[in-house]
Parts: sequence; C-alpha cells; structure tokens
Amino acid sequence: MNIDTVKERAGPREFSPADELPREYREAATRMIEFHANSEIMGAYLERPFIRQAPSIDRKLAFSAKVQDEIGHGQLLYRAAESLGVKTREEMLDDLANGDGKFLNCFHYPMESWVETPMIAFFVDGAAMRRQATLRRTSWEPYAHAMDKVCFEEGFHVKHGEDILSELMSGSKKEQHMTQEAFEEWWPRIIQFFGPTDDKSTHHDFAASVGLKQQSNDDLRNAFLDQYIPKARKYGLEIPDEPRIRERDDGTYVVEEDDLNWDEFFTIAKNEFEPGLGQINGRKTAQEAVDWVRETIENDASAAGGHAPQAAD
Amino acid sequence: MIWEVFRQEKTGGYHTHCGNVHAPDREMAKQFAAVQHGRRKPTNSLWVVPREEVGEIDGEDVTFGGTTDKSYRWATAYNTTGADAREVAESEDEQATAEKQRGDD
Repeated sequence: MNIDTVKERAGPREFSPADELPREYREAATRMIEFHANSEIMGAYLERPFIRQAPSIDRKLAFSAKVQDEIGHGQLLYRAAESLGVKTREEMLDDLANGDGKFLNCFHYPMESWVETPMIAFFVDGAAMRRQATLRRTSWEPYAHAMDKVCFEEGFHVKHGEDILSELMSGSKKEQHMTQEAFEEWWPRIIQFFGPTDDKSTHHDFAASVGLKQQSNDDLRNAFLDQYIPKARKYGLEIPDEPRIRERDDGTYVVEEDDLNWDEFFTIAKNEFEPGLGQINGRKTAQEAVDWVRETIENDASAAGGHAPQAAD
Repeated sequence: MIWEVFRQEKTGGYHTHCGNVHAPDREMAKQFAAVQHGRRKPTNSLWVVPREEVGEIDGEDVTFGGTTDKSYRWATAYNTTGADAREVAESEDEQATAEKQRGDD
C-alpha cells in the first residue's frame, strides 16, 4: 500500500498487522505509541512512592491498584507498537532506560507531597483520558484495541483522583492551602500536556492525515479546559492568573498560549530538563535492579522446553 | 487435527472465538473455516489456530478474583460532584456493566 492509498483509506481501526503499510506510516505510529507506552511507565514510577505514603488503607489499596494498571497499560501499548515492525519491545525499553525514549512532559517533574497526587491522578489522567477516548478511533487497530481496555480502567483512576482532591479541599485550612499551591505549580504543565499549538506541532499533520491522530492539540486542550475548569472551581480551587484563560461567549474556554513556558517544554521534550533526569535515571536503576528476574524467567522458559531457540539462532 | 476458529465481523473489530473445524492442515482449516463459520454471519476475517497451541487455564487452576471485595478498583465506588467528562462517565458505565456480569456467574 502506498501513502496515498493509506490516506484515502484512513479511518477508525482501518489498518492491522495483516496490511502492508508504508514505512512512513509505521514509523509515525511507532513514535506515537512508543511515547504513549513510555508515558504510562513513567507515570507509574512517579506515583509509586505514594503507595507507601497513602494516608489510609483504602487509599493505599486504590493507589497500588492504579499504579499496577498503568504498568499494564504500558505493556499493552508496547505490544501495539511492536506489531508495527519498526522497533522491538526490548529496544523501546532500553531507549527509555538510556534516556532516548520520549514521554509526557508532566512525568518529568518530581513529585514530593501527597497534595500533589490529584494533580496527576485527577487532572493529568483526566487530560489523558480525553485524548485516549479519541484514540479508540485511531487507524492502527492494535492501538485502538489497547485504548478500549485502557479507557475501561481509566475511569477509576480519574474518579479516585477526584475523590482525593475532594477530600483535601474539604479538609483543614492548611490542607486546602497546600493543595491550592500544588495546583498553581502544576496547572501550566497540565495545560501543556496536549503539546504545542497546532501551528507549532511537528507531527500533527501527517498523523492526522493517516488517521492515527483523531483530534488536534488545540481542540483537545480546549475540550479539557471546558470540562475541568468547572470541576476545579467546584472543589474550591482558584484558577491561577497565568496562563491567561479567556471565557468565550458560549461559556467555553481558550488559553493564551504565549503565557506558557515553551522553552522548558521543548527542553523536556529532548529529555534535557535537569530536574527531570532523576525520573529517567530512577527508572533505569529499577530496570537494572530486576534484571535477574527477567533472566530467570527467560532461562526457565527455555529450560522448560517451550520454544527453545535453535543453536543457529 | 482440530483448529479453533476466530471470527472478526468487520475491520477493526476483535476476532472472537466462534467454533472449530477438523482439518488435516492449515490451508484446509482456512477453507473449512470460511465455509462453516464465514458464510451466514457477517465476516471480515477469520483466524485458525491449532487446538494444541492454545493454552488454557481455568477456575480449578487459579482463582480469577471476584471473591475479594475490590470495590476500590471501580469508578462507581467514588462519589464526586458535578458533571463528569463524557469519557469518564462511559468508563464508569462499562465498569458498572462488568461488575454486574461478575455477579451473574
């Protein structure tokens, strides 16, 4: 299939591993899904310390279930990416460990306090879900199928995150104050979740023309604001003055893009953001620490007489 | 030799198990599957898989869950205020349905 045919046929769940697809399509899809998979893993690593810090047994159970889900989403997505035949799962995981793998801006920032957890678990997950819901219509069928399962589970993550926010914002004055502070710190990053504006987005046009991406960065960001600004206010959070957000006549919102720190965003995109290197290296250390587990499993599988590699392999 | 057959109704859908065929090899299995399982119901694609290649695990081998209360894992366990985003509400509905089906077993 050539690229023109791909563009012509591009529709929801249109292409599967049974189709012969041009390299351009497979590379674009790999980049997108690998980024998504890496983000699931890095998000889980960011949240993992809070299983230990959870303030109650209920929160601990829910938080560990959530982190477990996110790792599972990463696994599903590496499968969907690997099925494109551009990169192996191993290569993607190695790239993530050695600092070449790209992932979501929000997961580069260190997270220190429990009051920050709803910033990820409610707002970032809410933003992710908004995007993921549109990706159930992506043209790469294995990606769409992964999104079916991800969206099924993700509703719990968002509602649980919202529940934490609700609890904090109806807690003591100090808790409310600390939560507001965390919100002010995270808010611009959360808005940048959706990436640069359409005119600055490098990959959007192609990805959209072959049906991989279903909605533009701007549309997704605005749809997110419409839904989540009222939610934030409902819990008593004050929306920071910057970035400036205009309310349109129809009650929907639009953000003043120039108020956001795009230098930082693009430094992060290159994995060169100093405070974020701890996240990348922490994940690398964790991967190395459990290397023996992978080796044991693999050796055991071939010893048990599965599909043992031939001597010539 | 028995081949398990999975049918996909339309492009982008899931291949779901729909039966099996008796055939000496893969080629014949594909033909029999097309005849026996691809004719009456709408079919976009069929998979045939040798039965002995299918691994199975059931309730006697392992506990699949459902006996422990894990309500904290469901969106339905959390009461929040205001209108939820469409996709969050959808997810919650799917979970509520799955939760109900679990009770039927």
